[in-house]
Amino acid sequence: MTQKILRQSAEQQFALEIEELKKQDKHTKPANWQLSPNAVVNYLMGGKLNNGFEISAKYIGNRRLMEIAVATLATDRALLLYGLPGTAKSWVSEHLAAAITGDSNLVIQGTAGISEESVRYGWNYAMLLSAGPVAEAVVETPVMRAMKEGKIVRIEELTRIGSDVQDSLITILSEKMLPIPELNQQVQAIGGFNVIATANNRDKGVNDLSSALKRRFNTVILPVPTSVDEEVEIVQQRVTSFSKVIELPIQKSITEEIGRIVTIFRELRNGVSSDGKTKLKSPTGTLSTAEAISVMNNGLALAYHFGDGSIKADDIASGVIGAIVKDPVQDKIVMQEYMETVLKQRDGWKDIYRACRDII
Amino acid sequence: MSMHILGIRHHGPGSARHVLEALNAIKPDIILIEGPPEGEQMLQWAIHEDMKPPVALLAYVPDDPQHAVFYPFSIFSPEWQAIRYGLENKKPLRFIDMPLIHKLAEKPAAIEGELPPNLNSAELIEEHHQLQKIFKNPLSYLADIAGFEDEEEWWEHQFELSQHPVEVFTAVEEAMTSLRESLPQKNDLTEQIREAFMRRGIRTAEREMYTEIVVICGAWHVPALRSMPKQKEDDLLLKNLPKTKVETTWIPWTSDRLSFESGYGAGVDSPGYYKHVWENPEDDGTRWLAHAANVFRNHKVDISSAHIIEAVRLANALTAIRGLSRAGLKELNEATQTVMCMGDTVPMHLVRKELIVGNEQGEVPEGAPQVPIQRDLEQQVKTMRLKLSNDEKIVSLDLREPAGLQKSILFHRLQVLDVEWAKQQFTSGKGTFKEEWRLKWSPELTINLLEKAPWGNTVEAACTHYLQHKASSCNLLSEITELAKKSLPADLHEGIEAVMKRMDELAAGTTDTSMLMDAFKPLVQVSRYGNVRQTDQETVSVILRSIFYRMIAGLPISTSGIDEEAAAEIAEKIKSVNNSIIFLDEDELKSSWIEALLKTIAIKQVAPLVHGACCKILYDAKHMDASQTGIEFSKALSTGNDPSHSAAWLEGFLKDAATILILEDDIWNITNQWIEGLTPETFVQVVPLLRRTFSAYNSAEKSRLAQKVKHNSSGTSAAKQNYAINKERAKRVLPLLEKILGI
Repeated sequence: MTQKILRQSAEQQFALEIEELKKQDKHTKPANWQLSPNAVVNYLMGGKLNNGFEISAKYIGNRRLMEIAVATLATDRALLLYGLPGTAKSWVSEHLAAAITGDSNLVIQGTAGISEESVRYGWNYAMLLSAGPVAEAVVETPVMRAMKEGKIVRIEELTRIGSDVQDSLITILSEKMLPIPELNQQVQAIGGFNVIATANNRDKGVNDLSSALKRRFNTVILPVPTSVDEEVEIVQQRVTSFSKVIELPIQKSITEEIGRIVTIFRELRNGVSSDGKTKLKSPTGTLSTAEAISVMNNGLALAYHFGDGSIKADDIASGVIGAIVKDPVQDKIVMQEYMETVLKQRDGWKDIYRACRDII
Repeated sequence: MSMHILGIRHHGPGSARHVLEALNAIKPDIILIEGPPEGEQMLQWAIHEDMKPPVALLAYVPDDPQHAVFYPFSIFSPEWQAIRYGLENKKPLRFIDMPLIHKLAEKPAAIEGELPPNLNSAELIEEHHQLQKIFKNPLSYLADIAGFEDEEEWWEHQFELSQHPVEVFTAVEEAMTSLRESLPQKNDLTEQIREAFMRRGIRTAEREMYTEIVVICGAWHVPALRSMPKQKEDDLLLKNLPKTKVETTWIPWTSDRLSFESGYGAGVDSPGYYKHVWENPEDDGTRWLAHAANVFRNHKVDISSAHIIEAVRLANALTAIRGLSRAGLKELNEATQTVMCMGDTVPMHLVRKELIVGNEQGEVPEGAPQVPIQRDLEQQVKTMRLKLSNDEKIVSLDLREPAGLQKSILFHRLQVLDVEWAKQQFTSGKGTFKEEWRLKWSPELTINLLEKAPWGNTVEAACTHYLQHKASSCNLLSEITELAKKSLPADLHEGIEAVMKRMDELAAGTTDTSMLMDAFKPLVQVSRYGNVRQTDQETVSVILRSIFYRMIAGLPISTSGIDEEAAAEIAEKIKSVNNSIIFLDEDELKSSWIEALLKTIAIKQVAPLVHGACCKILYDAKHMDASQTGIEFSKALSTGNDPSHSAAWLEGFLKDAATILILEDDIWNITNQWIEGLTPETFVQVVPLLRRTFSAYNSAEKSRLAQKVKHNSSGTSAAKQNYAINKERAKRVLPLLEKILGI
């Protein structure tokens, strides 16, 4: 019996779409790209192909941003996706890699503890001892593999990596080669190789990029969704695909609940109620779209396993409060103020007000 | 005979180039341009060598200059290029739009193309936006179809950036014709009238047997001019239009003003970029991005050539992905932001301000016809070696020098005329002969100036008459006081006389002493600086006295039976009047003032704070000696009084007067005893009041007071210590001392 994979990679999940796009693609492709830049943008933004095949939207937002991102990669420049936590940076980078090279699995997860060996190359010490420095003793990293195969390597959370390790990327990015001085050899990247890095601009205690490295990236800042409708659409899409994976039957009327969560998050994030009349304090957390998605998922699971299956205010209240109250003192005041000044007054929101008050 | 209608976009560099190419190809014998016929006589100036666009043709109603229309031209305006072509090749030029004598006679507010009324209130802006949404630009339909974000961009790529010459106009015409056919009619009467006028202009030219006629007009009008209805219909439309008098002149314009909607109802968002496109038609973005890099470098942002290279590559890649023929402003901006600004939008404001909009300022040749008052101003400005420039400039003046005084007078006059070219700055230097002004000219100031044209033909005359008018319409003493403050340094003999007269009338009518006090202070200043300013001293002096006596008459009554807040206000004013009087140094006024103060403190119900303040003034003026003051103190602090009353009195007297406490032991002792005599409860009650007084002292004063408290807590004073001197023994020294001193 085959075990079910919890989360398929982008190129597996959307294999059909990529296949269809390939068939329809008439534009020229850069070396080692499986799709033309135009088709990649279409893959991300969604739309209908000429033969009527529907491509789902991966990124909901400004098309121009995606065009800039794809154009950057097409010009051999490394791409840095920058923005608040939860603005779909990793999501976009995964789909870009999947659409361009069909392989989104060359990933380095940036942490403070990462060493140069995990960025450049490491050694198989047993072989090194027995055979000395030979090519076979080199342990390839995703970066090296991507260079050899002309693929895209993704570096998540670039700014968490120590500055000295970050800077080992400079030669790779500018000269497109990775020297192995021990062997007196170098790996030269073949066409199609590129780097997509993500970093968020909210975290403290991260390592700023050196200006030498900064210069080698084109930066695209992914904004928080501009309108409620856009954000609701994002949440809905992701929640639907999530519930398919964990086999939760989806309720018909989740749009309304999503709308409420998104409204609450947006109001607190922007520090003003949606009618623009009440000024609000903002909590310490970012209240990103990603958090709204997880609150909704959580609520669905609660309703399914412990409730009657239809999602109610009680099911989402704990998630909402958990997302907002990150600092037990300050955020609690923020939330209480918000509940009393906005939630309580709003028609038809009594249930969520009560549910929140029971918890806080 | 043939007629060529060239549909353009106002201020489109591509259109300008196409028009120029078309003109060179067609070689017309007459050029008709969408523009006000009244402006024709002004056209000759366009090829004057001192004429530097951006400039605007300003048309205004002489009786009501605020009612005006601007027609801005930049170097890249197709009309401008057509005018220059016509003038250089000696071809007749005609403006065939609706004459402004009719247009400006219509209902003032609703005229399309009028300078947007100050859209200050949020409501108006809101309304404006909604209207715009409803009548969305017809071009946006085409832009939508072509998959562009907005019509500006669509037009730019379709017509401005494309390099095909004459066929463009055919394409424009086709596009507009189909748009006008398929869109519902706006039913805008003004527009119909305008087009009828344009057709009439064309018919006239045809009748005059011109063979090659070129018409240059906004693209939208092309179909209406192509299909000529019967002349009768047009004539019917143009019958009995209201009329008014209109005058025109050239005024310098600025690039940031180009981006506003004006005469044509079409502004451009990016005049700086268009100028660049006009000057560098072949630029693929490299030159532009190099300029952008320079802007950053000038603001201390490190941008290398490698950045420019990468930005150019990205812009080109974006252009390719979007299937455009050339990188437009959006692609260039996105490349700049992504490569040079780390994706951040904030530094892009720099590029926008300095490059995309730009800070060009046009110039108009000297001899060009101007309104007299405007000419007068420019002449004065020139003799003073100043410039009516858009750039901000700080000027500091020394009023003791004739040149400085002259400038100051001009600046003040303009202030009276509400032409806020110069704004006075706070000067840190001491002395009243120094002034600092910040100069910044903007085109709308010309309007403000023209508005004042009916008042006189020179700045001085207009200012005088305007001041007289304003003075007579003042109904409150406080208003006229403000006016007086503003106008006194403007050196307007007759005008000030009118202000003073009105001030006197109003002062007579007012019973509010505090208003009189306010009016008093500026008068004193003028009277004092009369020598510097050479303002008419006599008049001022007379008014000053009349106001002064009215003020002191009302003083005792206005200080009694008032609440704490009013008392604080009056006390402050009394102090400031006192300062003015000391400043004025006239014995007659001084003694009357003291008298009035004595009268005031003699009244029982005077607010304690005011009472204290008056006592302090009298003490300072040595009209009360230490012992008298002591009596006042003990009276005020006696136990019969409410503690808060005493505290208020103390505040009035001791505020900003720590030295008295430090030096005068009697007063110190009385205060000390009073405080010691307070019960804990009442002490707590008056502490906040006392704090208000004492917290204002500086730290040196405070520490001296604290020392005094420490050493003399018993209440005995150091000065009164008795030194036991044996007089007999002291006498013995004297002979020797006398000898030494040689007495």
